[in-house]
Amino acid sequence: MRKEETKILNEKMIEENVLTSRDYKYGFYTDIETDRIPKGLSEETIRLISRKKNEPAWMLEWRLKAYRHWLTMKEPHWPNFKYGPIDYQGVSYYNAPKKAGQGPKSIDEVDPELRKAFEKLGIPLGEQKRLSGVAVDAVFDSVSVGTTHQAELARQGVVFCSMSEAIRRHGDLVRKYMGSVVPYSDNFFAALNAAVFSDGSFCYIPKGVKCPLELSTYFRINAAESGQFERTLIVAEEGSYVSYLEGCTAPMRDENQLHAAVVELIAMDDAQIKYSTVQNWYSGDKEGLGGIYNFVTKRGKCLGRRSKISWTQVEAGAAITWKYPSCILQGDDSVGEFYSVALTNHRMQADTGTKMIHIGKKTTSTIVSKGISTDESNNNYRGLVKIMPSADGARNFSQCDSMLVGNKCSANTFPYIEVKNSTATLEHEASTSRINAEQVFYLKSRGLDMEAAISLIINGFCKEVFNELPMEFAVEAVRLLQMKLEGSVG
Amino acid sequence: MIANTGKNSMFMDQLAALTGPLKKAKSPDWLARLREEGLVRFRTLGIPTVKDEEWKYTNLSALAGHRYALSAKSTLSPAQRKDVLARYCGKADVNIVFVNGALDKELSNFGRIPPPRGQRLPDGRESLPAAGVEISMLRDALLKDAVALKEIWAHYDPQKDPAFVALNKALTQEGIYIHVKDKIIANQLIHILHVTQADGEAIAMFPHTVIRLGKSSEAGVLETHVGLNDENIYLADPLTDVLLEENATLHYSKAQKESLNAYHVGSTRVWQTRDSTFNGFSLVAGASITRNNLDIVVNGEGAAAFLNGLYSVYKDQHVDNHTSVDHRAPNATSNQLYKGVLNDAARAVFNGKIFVRSIAQQTNSYQLNKNLLLGKECRVDTKPQLEIFADDVKCTHGATIGQFNEDEIFYLQARGVPRKIATRLLTQGFVDDVLNRLTRDFVREQVAQLVAPSLAVLEG
Repeated sequence: MRKEETKILNEKMIEENVLTSRDYKYGFYTDIETDRIPKGLSEETIRLISRKKNEPAWMLEWRLKAYRHWLTMKEPHWPNFKYGPIDYQGVSYYNAPKKAGQGPKSIDEVDPELRKAFEKLGIPLGEQKRLSGVAVDAVFDSVSVGTTHQAELARQGVVFCSMSEAIRRHGDLVRKYMGSVVPYSDNFFAALNAAVFSDGSFCYIPKGVKCPLELSTYFRINAAESGQFERTLIVAEEGSYVSYLEGCTAPMRDENQLHAAVVELIAMDDAQIKYSTVQNWYSGDKEGLGGIYNFVTKRGKCLGRRSKISWTQVEAGAAITWKYPSCILQGDDSVGEFYSVALTNHRMQADTGTKMIHIGKKTTSTIVSKGISTDESNNNYRGLVKIMPSADGARNFSQCDSMLVGNKCSANTFPYIEVKNSTATLEHEASTSRINAEQVFYLKSRGLDMEAAISLIINGFCKEVFNELPMEFAVEAVRLLQMKLEGSVG
Repeated sequence: MIANTGKNSMFMDQLAALTGPLKKAKSPDWLARLREEGLVRFRTLGIPTVKDEEWKYTNLSALAGHRYALSAKSTLSPAQRKDVLARYCGKADVNIVFVNGALDKELSNFGRIPPPRGQRLPDGRESLPAAGVEISMLRDALLKDAVALKEIWAHYDPQKDPAFVALNKALTQEGIYIHVKDKIIANQLIHILHVTQADGEAIAMFPHTVIRLGKSSEAGVLETHVGLNDENIYLADPLTDVLLEENATLHYSKAQKESLNAYHVGSTRVWQTRDSTFNGFSLVAGASITRNNLDIVVNGEGAAAFLNGLYSVYKDQHVDNHTSVDHRAPNATSNQLYKGVLNDAARAVFNGKIFVRSIAQQTNSYQLNKNLLLGKECRVDTKPQLEIFADDVKCTHGATIGQFNEDEIFYLQARGVPRKIATRLLTQGFVDDVLNRLTRDFVREQVAQLVAPSLAVLEG
C-alpha cells in the first residue's frame, strides 16, 4: 500500500518538474564550496587525485600506467560527427564539494546544500523520502556524496557503495575485476578515464542473491571548467540478479564539458544484470552552443554459462553522445540484450549502438534500437555483431528503426555483421521513415492536437524499449521525450 | 595511408613498365593527361589495405604479390574458339569478344568488315547492330566522340577516384563505346565477352566500357568475364561507365566466372537522369578474390534503379560486393536484392550504402542481403548502411545469414530425396529467386550456365 503511495508521489513530483520548465529543467547551478585542484593534466595531477582519495599504491600504479599509455594514443575522429579540439589541459580533474570530505558516515550527514540540490533533481537522499525500492548513490562532480540503504543491502551481503570507498574497503574485489572488461588500453577515452577517474559506483552481488532493491547512481556535473570521469563496476556472482539504474544531468553552460565514463559489468554462471540508463545531460542550446560531450565506454562480460546482461538506454541529452554498450558473450548459452531509444533535437549529434561479441556456444543476442531525430540534429546507429569461430549455433536478431521529423536532420545506420561460424543464424533489419501521415490524421480527427498525436505515435514507436525500463524510469522517460519534442514538431 | 612495403611495392614498381608501351601509342593530349592523372592518383593511393574502411574485409596482398604483363596474345586453340563461340555467343546477338584483353575480330561479329546490313556472316550470325545503335572501339570513339565521352566523365571528380578506377584509367588499352540513339529500342542483346586464357605468365587487363543511352531508348547489355583454365593467375580491372538520359532503360548484367586463381576488381558507375531505369544484375561465381563496386547516382526525378545480385562461391574464394545508391533527386526508387551461397571455406563481403540527400524527398529505397552458409568454414561480413538526410522517405534494409531449415530438408528426405539432392534443390530454389528476375532468356541461361559448377559441388 505504502509503495503505491510513494509511486504516485514520485509521478506527481516528476510532473511538477516538467510543468515548471519547458526546456531543460535541470539547468540550474548550485553554488557550493568546493575542493578543486588546478586545471591541467600531468602525472602530478594523477598522484594528487590518488592522494586525495587515500588510495593504495596499486591503484596509483594502475592510473599511471594508463596515463602513460594515453599519452601514446590519438584522439579518435572516426565517428560520424564533428567536434572541436578538446583542451585536456583546460580541465580541472577533481572537484569535490568541500563538506563531502571522505564521504559521510551515514546518509543523514550529507550537507544540506547538496541534499537540496539533489531534491531539486527529483532524487531525495533522505531514506524516509526514498524513491520506492531504489537505493541511490549520488555522485556530485568528482565524488560520491552519499549512498542510501547501505545497511539494508549489507544484510543480504550486497555491497553497494562509491568506488572510492570500494577501493579502500573491498580492495581485492576491485583489483581483481577493474579493467578486466575494459582494459585501460581499450580506447583513448577509456585510457583517460583510467588515469583520472575520481569516483563512481561499485556493486557486488554475492552468490544466489536477488538484490532486493533497484540500485541506482545519479550523476551530476555542477562545476564549470571540469569534467566528470567516473567508473562503475558491477559484479554479479553465480545465480544472482541485480537491476541497476543510472541518471545524469548538468547545468546549462556555453562551454562544452567532457564526460568520459567507463562501466564494466561481469556476470557469472546463471547471473543476470539489468543496466538501465536515462541520460539527460545538458545538450546545448538551439544553435548548438555548449552541452556535454558524452564519450562513454560501457561493456559487459557474460563470463558464466547461462548468464545474461541487458542494456536499456534512453539517450535524450548531451551535445554529442558516443557510446556503444556492449556484451561479450563468453559463457555458453549466455544472453545479451540491447534496447535503446536515442532522441536528438537542436544540433545534437549521437553516434550510438552496441557490440555483441559471440564467443560461447549457443549464445543469443537481441538488439532493438529506435532513433528519433528532429531539428538539425544527427542521429547514428552503429553496431557490431561478431560471431567468433567458437560460437556454434549463435543467434542474433537486430532491428534498428529511425524516425525523422523535419528535413534538416539526418539519420544514419551503420551495422557491421561479421560471421566466422557457419552454424550461426542472424537477422538484421532497419528502416527509416517519417511519421505516418495517416496515423496523424487518424488521431487528429479524433480530437488530438498535432503535438499530442505525434507524442502518442512516438511513444508507440519506442514502446518496445520503454517496456524494458523499470517502472519509475519508464514514466520519466516518456515525460522526457515529450518535453524534448515540444516545439520541435507540428 | 600508403603502405608500399613488401608485396605492395612489387606491384607499384612494375607500374612504370606497364605504362611504357601506352605512352608510345598515339593518343590525344587530353587522353594522355587523363592517363597521367590516373597514374598519379593510383600512386598516391597505393593498393588499398584492410586498414582502409572500404577494404576492411578484403585483403589484396595476394594480388599485389604477382608480376603482371600487359595484354598477352590470344592463345586459344581452334577447339577452344569453337567452344567459346558455341557456349557464349548467341546467334542473334551483337558479340564483342575480347581474348586476353585484346579484341578478337573473328569471334566478334562486330569490327569485321561487314556484309551489307541485314545479311548474315558466314557463321550464320547477324551482322552489325541495327541502325541507331553505334558501337565503336573506345580508341576510335576518343577521337570521334570526344565531346560525348567527356560529358559522361565530367560527372566524376578524378581526384576522388578509388584506386582501381584510377588504375584502369591509367592503363586502359581497349574499350568499347556503345551509344544508343534517342528513341531507339535495341532488340539485339549487346554481349561483351572477356575470355582469358593465360597459361604462361600472369597478365593484367584493364578494359573500359562506356554505355550511353539516349532519350527514351532501351537496350540490353551483358558483360561476361570467363576464364578458361582454373589454374591461370591474372588480374582483371574492368571499368564500366553508364549514362542514362531521360526516360532511357538499360538492362545491364555482369556475369563473372574467372579462373579460380584470378583476381577481379571491377567498378561500374551509373549516372541516371530523369525517369530513367537501370535494371542491373551481377553474378559472381569465379575468381580467387572478387571485388565489385557498383555506384549508382540517381540524379533525376522519377528514376528507378534495380540492383540484383547473386554470388555462389566455394573452396577458398573471396567475394566482395560494394553497392552504393546515391539518391540526389526526389520521387525516385531503388530496390536491391543480393543473395549468396557459400560453400567450403568461402568468404563473402557485402556492403550496401544508400544515401538520401535532403532534396530527395519521397524516395523509396529497399535493400536485402541474404546469405546461405553451407560450408563448415565459410564466413560472411555484411554491412548494410543507410545515410538519410530527407524526412519524407521510406528506406529499409535487411540482412540474413543462416542455414537451411532442417524441417525443409526432412520434408524432402521423407519423400525419398537423398540429403545431398535435397540441399541442391533447396539451394536452386534460393538462387532461382534472383535468377528469375532476369527477363531475357538468353541472359538467364548464360548466368545459369556460369553458376552451375559452383552448385554442382553440393552433390559431389
